[in-house]
Amino acid sequence: MNRGPFIFLGIFLIVATSWTFVLFETNQWVGNLSAVFDEDLGKYVPRKTVGAAAHGKEVYQELGCIACHTQQVRVASGMDIARGWGERQSVARDYINEERSLIGNIRIGPDLSNVGSRQLDRNWYLLHFYNPQINSQGTNMPPYPFLYEVREVVGEASANALDLPEEFFPGEGLEVIPTRKAESLASYMLSLRVDYDLKEAPKSNETMAEELAVALEIAQ
Amino acid sequence: MVLNMTLIGNICSSLFPNLSGDSKNREGVRGIDASIRFPLLTLIISASVWLIIATVVGFIASIKMHSPGFLADYSFLTYGKVAPIFWNSLVYGWLFNAGLACAVFLLSRLGGKNVGLGAFLTISITLWNTGVTAGIIGIMWGEQLPFQWLEFPAFAAPILFLAFLGIGTWNLLTFRARIHRSSYASQWWILASIFSFAWIYTAAQVMLVGTPAKGAIQTLVNSWYVENVFGLVIAPLTFATLYYLLPKTLGTVVVGYKYSSWAFWSWFLFASFSGFVDLANGPIPAWVSSLGVIATFGLLIPTTTISIQFLSSLFSRFSVIWDSVTARYLFAGCITFLLVMYQKIFGSLRGAMDTTQFSLYDSGVTQLALFGFAGMTFTGAIYFILPRLLNKELPSTSLIDLQFWSHLIGLILVSIGLISGGTQQGELMNGSTAEALVVVKTMQSSFYLTTIGMLFFIIGAVASGATYIGIILSTRIPEETETSLIKEAPELEYSAS
Repeated sequence: MNRGPFIFLGIFLIVATSWTFVLFETNQWVGNLSAVFDEDLGKYVPRKTVGAAAHGKEVYQELGCIACHTQQVRVASGMDIARGWGERQSVARDYINEERSLIGNIRIGPDLSNVGSRQLDRNWYLLHFYNPQINSQGTNMPPYPFLYEVREVVGEASANALDLPEEFFPGEGLEVIPTRKAESLASYMLSLRVDYDLKEAPKSNETMAEELAVALEIAQ
Repeated sequence: MVLNMTLIGNICSSLFPNLSGDSKNREGVRGIDASIRFPLLTLIISASVWLIIATVVGFIASIKMHSPGFLADYSFLTYGKVAPIFWNSLVYGWLFNAGLACAVFLLSRLGGKNVGLGAFLTISITLWNTGVTAGIIGIMWGEQLPFQWLEFPAFAAPILFLAFLGIGTWNLLTFRARIHRSSYASQWWILASIFSFAWIYTAAQVMLVGTPAKGAIQTLVNSWYVENVFGLVIAPLTFATLYYLLPKTLGTVVVGYKYSSWAFWSWFLFASFSGFVDLANGPIPAWVSSLGVIATFGLLIPTTTISIQFLSSLFSRFSVIWDSVTARYLFAGCITFLLVMYQKIFGSLRGAMDTTQFSLYDSGVTQLALFGFAGMTFTGAIYFILPRLLNKELPSTSLIDLQFWSHLIGLILVSIGLISGGTQQGELMNGSTAEALVVVKTMQSSFYLTTIGMLFFIIGAVASGATYIGIILSTRIPEETETSLIKEAPELEYSAS
């Protein structure tokens, strides 16, 4: 234990082994995954995030939403399926298009990987970002007033002004207009839905049972 | 004006003391101290400033957990930004500066030779702190990356890497120049932590920013990096400090020193594979988190060895803990080390993990490790270093007492708040279908506890800052011009092996 080079070499070998086993191997494996053609949707899945949603994804990253929200559904543990956060396990293929992974590992708020299929109302999101207390009273999610412009109503009210409840109204003769960032973030939320099946991640038994029940009801 | 001149005079006297009453033995040490005085003060002052910033930002973040409207109008202070600012200023600001201060002091003293290059070291340290500052401004600006402990925008990485290379090179040169042919455990741990950080930082930056790995693998790279920053960099620097300071403050060799190299290699082997617990059942191969659990259990071996070494040494001279400021901090550091490892090892068990996954539990254990184990050890070490470096007495023991107790109370409140609150949160989030709103409501008291704890951390941080400033600015009294002011502990390091 007297020599620097010995320690250097030892540590190098240990870190290199850890890197090869854990990161390099798995990276090779995921690198071979590609998009698959989904016949029901008639397109390749997972879809790429494009347009306003892609801009919204940047806003999501900029504001650090990942500090409280995950984007992954687990089947083997937790209650994700029962909570309606998704219909099946999230697998590596779901994320192959993500240049910046937003999977996350803290859940102060709900998982968002399928939020776009739970809440379809664009206005709900715009009100929620302005002040989450409007439609989720008691939450500790912060409001994002800086994503909105408060301005005086000149002539007729703007078509895209928020339809705020009275107690959240900023003042007489004023209106609240979402900025492009708020609009894009809402588009991103709406784009978050995993509505395709992958053979490596079949739907959970509960989901299939529910679907079967619905199908049987229709058949009767 | 007169006051200003006195202060400037005092600072000069701190930096360039004119001491008398030499023995031959002291001559070498004085030369070494003179060459590292300025870089070390830069490290210590930077660490102190970052600790104050980190605790204030942590306080703001904690308030936001129970009062989301607090400071909500400022986009640069939104929770998603203050949370990463808190962690990054804590890790790269406070702990890296404080840990490297210990490394620089230890390697110089243990090597027994003055390598000079103080200006080079100071420039590297300044560059490091510039990098951290740039990164934090980048996060506020909205350029953060979505990777834990790597949120700094891409432009900060080369600055930090270059700066670390400079600091690392200086440490290597000092080690190479040592006069004793054999080396002491502290030296291995420091060298290993410096090599490790260079490797893992490069690997993480290449795989996350340079040529990003595909989707899900990024979380794996991130988790590997975070686990290794603690296991291979911060913890080793802390062990190095303990191996050096325990014999110095207790006046005895480390009990069972001969097992040190065994503990060293087994720690690095297992720590480099441990973790990945938070990835369980996620979109990555299942064997990765199984491997992580096995390796985490492997850590029982070095943890037991190291704890027995440190605690037996401490208990063999228990009365010193109450007499020596530094020993008290080291004792607190060793006890928190045991608590942290207990939580880490048993928290990785399947049953515990199913409950705590995605909750604040992990954050609580990490804060216990950073503020407690590493933070208390480094703080104690700085109280040991400063008087020797400046040949002055610490200005006020009551200020140090204030810091010790407020830091300890803060530590207890924050870790109880996050660990018990996190368990509660995990139970509801993973074990029921209670809405996130309901979960948040049941956690209110934990959030308040954390906020109060953070307030205690701020008090502690300010008190330690005041001590550092106080010792630099105080007027040198006659006794402090004598080199006999501080009795050097016998050099037990090389007789131990």
